[in-house]
Amino acid sequence: MGSVAKETTARSDDLELNKPEPEGWLGLLFMLPSIAFITGLFIIPLIMTIWMSFHNWPLLGRTKFVGLANYIELLGDSQLWHSLGFTLLYTGLVTAAIMMVAFPLALLVDRPLRLAGVFRTIYFMPVVIGFGAASTLWMWLLNPDSGVFAQILVGNGLVDKAPRPLESFWPALSIVILMVVWKTAGFTMVILLTGLQSIPGDVMEAAKIDGANALTRFRRITLPLMRNSFMLALVLNITSSMLAFDQFFIITQGGPENSTISAVFSIYLASFSSYRLGYGSAMSFALLVVLVAISSIQLTFMRQRPEES
Amino acid sequence: MARLQLKNVVKSYGIYEAVRGINLEIEDNEFVVFVGPSGCGKSTTLRMIAGLEHITAGEIVIGDQIVNRLGPGKRDIAMVFQNYALYPHMSVRENISFCLEQQKISKEEIQRRIVTAAETLHIGELLDRRPGQLSGGQRQRVAMGRAIVRNPKVFLFDEPLSNLDAKLRVQMRTEIKRLHQLLPTTTVYVTHDQVEAMTMADRVVVMNGGVIEQVGPPQELYHRPVSQFVAGFIGSPAMNFMPATLVSGGKGLLVQLEDGSSLPVPVARIELYERHVGKTVTFGIRPESISDRQERPGFAEIQAKIDLVEPLGPETMVYFAVGDRGLCACIDPESNPKPKSTMPLSFNMNQMHLFDPTTGRSLAMG
Repeated sequence: MGSVAKETTARSDDLELNKPEPEGWLGLLFMLPSIAFITGLFIIPLIMTIWMSFHNWPLLGRTKFVGLANYIELLGDSQLWHSLGFTLLYTGLVTAAIMMVAFPLALLVDRPLRLAGVFRTIYFMPVVIGFGAASTLWMWLLNPDSGVFAQILVGNGLVDKAPRPLESFWPALSIVILMVVWKTAGFTMVILLTGLQSIPGDVMEAAKIDGANALTRFRRITLPLMRNSFMLALVLNITSSMLAFDQFFIITQGGPENSTISAVFSIYLASFSSYRLGYGSAMSFALLVVLVAISSIQLTFMRQRPEES
Repeated sequence: MARLQLKNVVKSYGIYEAVRGINLEIEDNEFVVFVGPSGCGKSTTLRMIAGLEHITAGEIVIGDQIVNRLGPGKRDIAMVFQNYALYPHMSVRENISFCLEQQKISKEEIQRRIVTAAETLHIGELLDRRPGQLSGGQRQRVAMGRAIVRNPKVFLFDEPLSNLDAKLRVQMRTEIKRLHQLLPTTTVYVTHDQVEAMTMADRVVVMNGGVIEQVGPPQELYHRPVSQFVAGFIGSPAMNFMPATLVSGGKGLLVQLEDGSSLPVPVARIELYERHVGKTVTFGIRPESISDRQERPGFAEIQAKIDLVEPLGPETMVYFAVGDRGLCACIDPESNPKPKSTMPLSFNMNQMHLFDPTTGRSLAMG
């Protein structure tokens, strides 16, 4: 009996092993929602953008195929180059500012203190507000007549007259950067915090026993081991800064004297002020190429890491 | 190389006392193993010696210096961690040299020490690899390399073999022991594995519930445990325990078991146990002290109904019951007993132990 039972088990095991891999269509079925999502919201719009960029495409009226004319026009468009230069300047400044605020915050809340959790939540809170809403909120705060900032500064006698930062370039840019740091530093803090917390405790203890002081531990252990989190935070911050629109559209409205028009803002102006959708599409595609290039460089750098445990 | 002293060391977390006032002197170059179940305070004690945990009360002295207030980097100790704790972004060479760089040792000297350590631990060909490219055993060697290049006063090992597979564990156990013979250094080694404790230690410290139960050479702990806890913890398979009563009968003393059977106490032990006659005791006997060999002086025979047989090769474990207590015996594999059969088993009463059932203390200790 026993041997018969054993044989049966062995045979059913064989059957299990010989069973073909699950059908390919099953895998496809699982992937379908993602494929539909990416196709509908990314690939089709991308192809349409490229298609539109080869046309003279007014909002109303007949479209006309113009080949590479839009791209050639891009090369000589000084407003576009200015906006691209401005976007790069903004990206550099805001990314640096976010990192400088978020990293100390991450170090602060990475402590086994009961209050650390409360502060983590407080610092993260502005992240959940939309950019449009945050920009509008800051517009109110900045209002020279009724804004909170003006009242505090004038009320405390710190200034005689309510400041009007949006009337010149650097104060306007600084205000936008301040708002963006307030709104997004919490998110970067969380990314950096995960990096900090992924450093094994015993590695830090080993460094202590090896006689490394706090500064050496930070420089030689913490920073190198957080490299991936840093790179991720940089990629996300740079990408979103390169695509900045709401804050300039709402707070500075491109001013003063069109000096704070970002790349996406100029795409908006071309498409929905001048109604040149074809030209706007060409600008969008050019910006996509720039962004892919920047991200590829960053991601390549991120992958070029030696084997780590 | 230094003497290490723990003087009434206490560690509390709020109202919970993890270590409850331990006293211990570890001699220069001695290899001491702390062993005990999880939560007994052995790792906390080691971490206090390392300076990774503050001491609530007491004193830790390394050499002639009280180190209570010294940071881990200033105690001149080296530690091997359970998960090796190698710096993942550094090569093996950098891992080993990191501590020497902190001591501002010259590059030539660092290089010389790395080469010596690499030769000692056979890791010369791994020096330019990173920890992620090494196997568990190799990482363990690198962790030890990082420790030995410093020539520390004290080596600390925190369960260093628990992440290795069984075969590698035995191999590394031997290597650590050999390394200690080659480079005699005061060593404190923490493990929950009593086999590691028995095989490696000059002296074993058995801890339980934040206190030291017994300190002594492995053989002393095995043969003369001071408590039922030590008797049960040291030795594998664990000692058998049965409730019994000590009665006088005939010319001597008898251990009367729950099922009514009586085992005579050897003459040599009568004096030791005499004053406990009439008391309820816990009778303890190791599986290896129960055999199927012919009766010899001091042996007491019972008829055992075998429940389960586990042949291990060089010996065979048999499980049987006395009353409702399950017992284990370690017998000659040649006997080839069958489950459900009855066989005579002899208790070597020269190796018997009696414990106070309330305090758990050995009655042989007085």
